[in-house]
Parts: sequence; C-alpha cells; structure tokens
Amino acid sequence: MDIKKVLNEATKQIERCSSQQELQNVKVAYLGKKGKITELLKSLKDLSLEEKKSTGAKLNSLRKDIDDLFKNKFNGLKVKEINSKLKNEFLDISFPPPNSIPSKVHPISKTFDEVISIFGSMGYSVAEGPDIETDYFNFSALNIPENHPAREMQDTFYIDDTDKDNKPYVLRTHTSPVQIRTLLNEKPPVKIIAPGRTYRCDSDSTHSPMFHQVEGLFINENTNMGDLKGTLIEFCKQFFNVQNLKVRFRPSYFPFTEPSAEMDIAYEIVNNKIHLGTGDLWLEILGCGMVNPTVLENCNVDTKIYQGFAFGMGLDRITMLKYGLTDIRSFFSGNLNWIANNGFSIGDY
Amino acid sequence: MKFSYSWLCDHLETDKNATEIGDALTNLGLELESLTDYSSYSKFVVATIKDFHKHPNADRLNICTVDDGTKTYQVICGANNVKKGLKGIFAKDGMYIPGTQIYLKKGKIRGEISEGMLLSERELNLSDDHDGIIELSDNFENGTSAIDALKLNDPVFEIGITPNRGDCLGVRGVARDLSAKGIGKLKPLKYEKITKLDFESPISWNIENDNNSCEYVISRYFKDVKNSVSPEWLQKKLISLGLRPINALVDITNFITHDLGRPLHVFDADKVGNKLHMRLAKPNEKILALDNKEYTLDSNSTVIADNNNALAIAGIIGGESSGCTEDTKNVFLEVAIFEKDSVAKTGRALGINSDARYRFERGLDKKMVIEGLNYASYLINKICGGSVSKNIDSGKLDTNEHKIKYKFDYFEKVIGIKLEPKKQINILKDLKFQINQINDKECDLLVPSWRNDIENNIDVVEEVIRIHGYENITESIPSPSDDEIVKINNSSINKKFKAIKKLKKILISNGVSEIITFSFHSAKAHETLSGDKSLKISNAISDDQSFMRNSMIFNHLETAEMNYKKGYKNIQIFEIGPIYNTSQSQENILSMLISSQDNTNTIFKSEDFNFYSISNLVSRLISSLNFDTKQFNISRSTSNTFHPGQSAELNMGKKLIARYGKVHPLIIEEFPKLKNSYAIELFFENLPIDSISRTNSSNILDSQFQFSEKDFSFVFEKEQNLFEVQRYVNGIDKNLIKNVEFFDLYESKDLGENSKSVTFRVTIQSKDKTLDEKDLEQIHNNILEKVSNKFKANIRT
Repeated sequence: MDIKKVLNEATKQIERCSSQQELQNVKVAYLGKKGKITELLKSLKDLSLEEKKSTGAKLNSLRKDIDDLFKNKFNGLKVKEINSKLKNEFLDISFPPPNSIPSKVHPISKTFDEVISIFGSMGYSVAEGPDIETDYFNFSALNIPENHPAREMQDTFYIDDTDKDNKPYVLRTHTSPVQIRTLLNEKPPVKIIAPGRTYRCDSDSTHSPMFHQVEGLFINENTNMGDLKGTLIEFCKQFFNVQNLKVRFRPSYFPFTEPSAEMDIAYEIVNNKIHLGTGDLWLEILGCGMVNPTVLENCNVDTKIYQGFAFGMGLDRITMLKYGLTDIRSFFSGNLNWIANNGFSIGDY
Repeated sequence: MKFSYSWLCDHLETDKNATEIGDALTNLGLELESLTDYSSYSKFVVATIKDFHKHPNADRLNICTVDDGTKTYQVICGANNVKKGLKGIFAKDGMYIPGTQIYLKKGKIRGEISEGMLLSERELNLSDDHDGIIELSDNFENGTSAIDALKLNDPVFEIGITPNRGDCLGVRGVARDLSAKGIGKLKPLKYEKITKLDFESPISWNIENDNNSCEYVISRYFKDVKNSVSPEWLQKKLISLGLRPINALVDITNFITHDLGRPLHVFDADKVGNKLHMRLAKPNEKILALDNKEYTLDSNSTVIADNNNALAIAGIIGGESSGCTEDTKNVFLEVAIFEKDSVAKTGRALGINSDARYRFERGLDKKMVIEGLNYASYLINKICGGSVSKNIDSGKLDTNEHKIKYKFDYFEKVIGIKLEPKKQINILKDLKFQINQINDKECDLLVPSWRNDIENNIDVVEEVIRIHGYENITESIPSPSDDEIVKINNSSINKKFKAIKKLKKILISNGVSEIITFSFHSAKAHETLSGDKSLKISNAISDDQSFMRNSMIFNHLETAEMNYKKGYKNIQIFEIGPIYNTSQSQENILSMLISSQDNTNTIFKSEDFNFYSISNLVSRLISSLNFDTKQFNISRSTSNTFHPGQSAELNMGKKLIARYGKVHPLIIEEFPKLKNSYAIELFFENLPIDSISRTNSSNILDSQFQFSEKDFSFVFEKEQNLFEVQRYVNGIDKNLIKNVEFFDLYESKDLGENSKSVTFRVTIQSKDKTLDEKDLEQIHNNILEKVSNKFKANIRT
C-alpha cells in the first residue's frame, strides 16, 4: 500500500473542490465510515503485531495530514464565500448626514454654574426666594419705605393680588429679599448666594423686563469691608479669568447697605473688542456694601454681635461681558441659531 | 444733575481741571456720568450756504454749495431750514460726529456727491433738537471755530445723585463736598442782604388743615417790579442746564433751585387773594399747572390756595393762573419746608417729575430757607427793581441739628482698617460736623443742617471712609470654614442645582437645546390653560406678557414656531425655570417640547416621536436622578395641555412628578405648523431631594448561575394599569424574578372592545443554583395563576 500515493491523490481531489459541499463529499470519501482511510485502518486487524505497529503509525499520520488539508481548505473556502457575499453589501458611505442644529446649554446656565462653584469654594451655600414677592420683603424690610425715592430707581411690576398687609404683590426687582428670608430662617453666621430671576418694567438693548441677578450675603461677628473687597475681587479674577484685574470701588447708595459701594472693572478696546482688566475705561459690575444695621434689626439679628456684607450682581451682564455679547434681549429670544452659536456643548458645561 | 465748570467755580476756588474734578466727584459717590468737554469741537467751523438746488433724485434733499472760508464744498442736506445765506456749523470728510457716533465719509447720496455735513444740535450732542441744522444768528466769519461760535468753552459735568444726597442737588452742595475732599476751597456766597424792608406784606399766610405737610413758610412781597428777559449771565446758566429762559422772575427761582438746591416759587401778587392757605385739596379739586396740564387732586395732596382757588401743588408745581409773566408788576415770593413723604406721594400719584419735587422728597437744608429768601430777594431787586416788604411767615422752623455720639473704634470694626481718631475728626471737620466732648474713644457730633441722611454711627463711618477713600481699604479673602463646607454638602438647594445640571446634560446629549423664556405669557395662553386670574400683571408692558405663566408650553410653542419660520423643522427645546400657580406658589420645573415636522429624509430617518418614545425619555431623565419611573403611580393626565388619550402623569403619593405626552390638538390649533408636538413637564422639586444623591441599587445583584426566560401573554381589561401588573409580577418572587419586560400590546375585535392582550418576558435566576425544570415549572405556574386571579386576566396561548 502506497501511503504517499493516497496522500497525493487526496491532495489533488481536495484542491479541485470549489464549494464547501463538494469538499464535504470528498471528506466523506476519505474519512467517512466507509472512507478510504477508515477502510485501511480496519484492514490493520489482519496484520501481525509488529506490522500493526509500524503501519498503524503511518496510517494515523496520513489521516492527520489529510484532516489538516480538509480544515485548511475549508477555512479558505469560507473566507472566499463571505467575501463574495460582502461585495453585495456595500453602502454609499458618502451620503451626507442631516444638518441638525447642535444642542447647547444656555450661556446663563454656564454662568450660574460657575458662580455657584466659585462662591462654593469660598464657603457660600445657595439660597432661594420666590419671584413674586411681598412689598415688605422686596422693599420695606430692606429699609426702602413706601415713599422713599429709591423705589423710583426701580420700575416695579405689580401683580393683581394683595398680600396680608393688603399691598399688591410685586415681581421682585432684585434678589435682595432673599437676604431677609434667609436671615429670618437661619441664625448667623450666614454665608449664602442667591441666584435667580428678577424683573423691572424696562425694555431696550441693555434692559430686559426679566433678567438674572445673584445676591451674596455674609454675616458673622467681624466680617468687614476689607473682606467684601477681597471676596469680590477674587470672584471677578476667577470668573473673568484675569489675574491682573484693575478694579475700582466707589461710594454709592443702597438703602439696605451702609457704607455702600459700586465696583467697576477696567477695560480697554483692543482691535474693536473689549479687553477686561486693564485700561482707563470703567465698567460697572455690581453694587455692594456692609449690611445696614437697620436691615439686620428687621431680621432680629443682634447688631451688637453680628455684622456683614451683601452684594448684588447682574448675571446676564457679567455673561455678556465675559463672552462679548451685546443684546440682552437675544438671551430670551429662544432663537436656536443664537443658542447654537453662543451656548455650550456638553463637554464645556 | 448738570452744571458747568465755570458755575462750579462760582462756589469753589480750585486749581484742578475738569478731568481731575470729574474723578474726585466719582470718588465722593457723586458718580460722573458724563463730562462734556468740547475742546475737540474746534475742528467744526462756521460755514455759509452760498447756493442750493433740489436734488434730482430725492424730493426731500437739497444740494448745497457751502463755503467754510477756505474752500467751497458740495453738501447734500435733508434739513427743512436750508436757505441761501444760512450760517451753520460744518463738518468735513473724515470727521467724527459725536451725536451719531460715526465718522463722516465722502460719498454719493442718491447719485450726487456729498463732501461734508451741516450739523444739527443733536449731531453735536448739544440738545435733542434735530428739527433742522444749526442756524447761527450772529454774523460770524466763515471758518470761525464752533467753540467760539456756540460759546462751548465751558465743560459741562453730568453727575448721578443717589437718593440720600439731596444736599448735592445744588451746585453749591457739590462744591461743598468737593472742598471736604480737598479739591479747592468753598467761597462765601456773593450777594448783599436787602436791609430796607419798609412795608408790611399785603398778603399773609395761614397753615391750616394740611396734615402737617408744611412745617414752615416765609414770604416777601415785591412792589412795582419790572419783569423782562433775564440778563445774559442768567440766561447762559439756565441754557447750560438745558433749561429754557422764560422771564427774569421765573429764571431767578430756577437758578436758585439749581444753584443752592433750594426750590422757591413766585406768584403774581395781583392774581392771588390777600390770604394764602396751606391746606389739603378738596376731593376732585382741579388745577391747571405751569406745565399746561390740568390735574385732578385728592384730599391727600396739599395745595397753596387763596380763599377761592388752589394756586399751586405744594412742593411740586405752581399754577398757570397765578404765574409771573413779563406784565407782572407785583410779586409774592414763597419759600417753604414741605414734608418729604407728602410731596413724594402726591408727586407720584399725579406723575409730575418737577425739579422742586425732586428736591423736596430728598429732604432740604432747613437753614437754607432764610439764605434762599435773601438771595432771591437780592436778585429780584437787582434785576427787576421795586421795593421789598418785611417778612411774613407761618409755622415754626426747627433748625436744631441732629446729635450723634460717635465711637471711633466702630470705624475699624466695620471697615477693617485702622484710622486714628485725630484723622477721623479732621475728616468730620472738613465735612462741617461740629465736634464736642472729644476723648480717645468717642465724641459728640452735630450733623450739618444739609445732611438729613446722617442719623447714626454707621452713617458717620460711611462719611469718614467716603472722604478717606475706598481705595485705602485693605482687601482680605475670608477662607471657608469646615462648618461652611459641611453646610454646602448638606444643602438641599445645592443638591437641587446638581440635579438640574444632570438633567441638562442628559437633554443636551439627546439633542435638546436649552432656552430661557420670560416668566410671563399672554392673556390668551393664560385663559387657555385656565391659570389663576390673580396672576395678572397690573402694569404689564404688553398683552403678550400680561400674566405670570402657569405653564411654559405656550412660550415654548411660540419659540418653536419662530424657529420653524427660520427653517428648522425638527425642534427640540427645554427650559428649567419657574411656573406660578398662585401669587404664593411657585414651582421650578423642567419643561420640554419636541416638535418634529419633517420626515422626508429617506436615508437618515428622523426619530419618529410618539407617546412611547417620550415615555422612554421621561424614564431616562428620572433614572438619571436615581429614581425608577415604575415606582410611581401612573394615570392618564387630566391636564388640558395634553391629548387626553396620549398623555400620562406620574405621581408619588399626592405629589405630581411628571406629566407628558402629545400636546392637545386644541392648543395646536393656535400653532398649525406644529401638528406633531410632544411635551414633558418634570416636577423635579417634588422628588425627595436628599435621595437624589447616588445610592447603591440592591436588586441588580450579579449571579453566576444560568438564567431562564419565559414569555407570558394575558388578556386584560382595556384600562388595566400595566405599571401595577409589572410591580405585582416583580413581587411574586423577589428572590428569583430578576426582570419583567413588557414587549407587546395587541388590541383587536376578536379580543372584544374592552380587552387588550399584553405579553411580557420574565427573567428567572437564582443566586444559589441553576434552576431545574421542576423549579421553573413551579414558578411559571405560580405567575400564571396569580396574575390571572389578581387581575381577572385570561391566559393566552
């Protein structure tokens, strides 16, 4: 029996196969129950022990070689068949995706977030109050009595409904009533910020009937005006991301603080763009001051022990300054184009 | 308030220039709003229109030939007062026009070349007058600078006066404050007191039932005066403020109002009775005021009246009938102190913003009453001649100064820097406080009569630091305490803001853009959504913004429609903000609108939104806050915002958690372009805020043993709540039932009108062993039996 001849023959037959089925038939003819190799192995039983040993080893090696040939051929045929099938599955990968408008968060959201985080790192927790306020919380408790000229500084919206003092409710003209609400609820020390919506009946490119403010309040035993100055300068440095920030505090007047101040930051125009922090021009950023003892007394705080500062800042305004936006009305227009151009994508928020 | 540099120098001896004074004013809290320094106007020159003719292509334009003394120019001009020989102010190519804030550029206007511009007062920022170009009355030579021609060599300051500084509503007060800051020396007032008061006033005063609004009034009668136009110096002063000179008597009172901050009034003595009263107005009493408007008064207002008529509204405005004209022969001068609240109330009620009201409601210097009387008498007598009566007065003038015991160390406690008592005292002296009983700790202060705003120690501290300078306050940054950090970490509001940020991130990554809309909406929206009537804004800017919104849906539909008109067909927007149920109840919610109107792209099929995809998004939003939608009770939404059959609400107990579904077709009637619109309202504030922080979920334990899945189909009653079924099946065997997933819903006539067939898949897995056939059969049968019994459901095979 010529083992080499059988192997050659098998190799030729396997190579000739062009489909998996054909190959399977050849495989049966060699390795099946009645296949050539199987028959040869069966005939071993007629041989002597010694012959059995040597021929058996040769036949087993032949069987393994042929099996390997089948496996290789089989794999080759499979890849070939899948490849030819894939040729019919090609898509037009150049078909342009639709131009959907990118979804963004509103710039005010980003500012809210930064303000909460910067003041959070200085120890301020967040407080809240309602937009529809009583006359008392919005004015009287803040040392702005009924006929005070300061009421005319703020054009107030009124609601067709009266509170328990029989005064019409107002839309809060500032976030300052949160100072009162917090001090009536918590014992000092108090260290809060209160961002939120505020309202004045005014509408042009720098005024919107609705806008956003953040109130700050820090009441403790020795909180002084130097702390106020340092805190606000630090905030502006971080928020505007300017390390050498030229600022100016100048005397002002708010009925609920004394001494009162307004803070300006320097700017200059470079290549038709506002550059913050340097220069000889000034931009008003916020109003602030030491909380007027009358206000603390209105909230039952012992002014022999406690004192502190408060500030109020326009969030839309600092957002406009930071990003060079010019018309506050566009903030509230809902224009998706504007949001896409000026908002922040998820990674930047 | 406005005043010129030269006017300031009438009261202040100073070597500082206008810019230095401007800076000092700001540092004093008298914020410089503008300093109109006209030195740059020398480039504008006098020019004459030599000739003109109509522009061939524009009816309203003329083509002028203009001579500026060196050359002639062709200028296109639209003013209606163009005429031959007119002398005006001319600006050439390249010059900056301050009133319009543009640079002139030579160019063609409707096809004709224009080489410059003849200017109006508004274009030069001199006034709001834009009726025509400036016409110079004098015969200036062409080429004369505008500064000389318009007498602009006096810089004008405009400063903001805060409501507490009534003392600076006169130029003298401003000069006084500057002198305290070391900017020059206050000059004494220059006038001569009239000593010859040789007859009794025929008119007398009577303060009666006036609700204490007039503390004191004093007058003089001027006989045989000759009223006419004011002298030039007086006219110039008033013009510099933007006031129009009227006649000498009126001009004098206006001048003293602005010079001393002391309003006073002149009556034509022949037009009033001989007994004048301060009294409350009668109900509906009418008066024609000097502004030519008739006002109807109520009994809260105080008037000055004779026996017959109201002649003036006290502290606010005079009456037309008793006003001084050039024919006035005899004058009655009134100087009074009116209570500020009463002036403020009346002024506001009538809507009159006069110079007098502005000063009275901020409080006047009581010592200035006699000074004002003397100064006005001097000017009237000097300009109009005649003789002056003795004083006639009524009431009692309380000129006692307010006394404060001031503690020096309070300054350091509030401001945070040391300032020696000696330095504090010097500052207070400069501010004209009288200081007594000084020791190292404290002193007694008498507040100057013009500073009604200074009442206690904190007011004094403010004065001292105001003059010492805010720039001298040393900054410090208080570092956060451990208690503060703990408080932030436990604060439910801080946690809420974190939750809000998560929601925003989820929505942004799902292609939804954030918008912010007004807290208002229209009357129409409010009515449609049956909002509380008390949420009406009494003084709304417009009907579109006349109610506080009780839902954001209208604002968002309007936004969607506006964007649709800009070409966006698939709009996904959200807002997190307040809605208002009543004046005392506000909720912050997330409101989202998806409006998809375009499915034409056959390759990139836009997501087909329906109730179920919205429901899925709600579920994802809620799970981002570590809650499971299925733990809430679901029911059909009763809100009229939504389609009754394609909307749901989730409740936890009585608290509404979410409301979502298709927008009600009746609302969409208003927005016909937005037919396929869905909305979500998530009331995240009703979720127990403290659980919002991450907790480990206990029911997702990993098991290494084999799991088995089995599908069950039941026929339920049509209204059967499937949330309940799911919760029930989950509870049949909490140890083995890992998951219950609903995946098919089927309704047909064969099943009957009131039935639905529902299929769900149950995943069964033990954490202890691989379950065998017997175990599984037992649990399958258990499910079949319990579900069919509990819900009267038929098993479908």
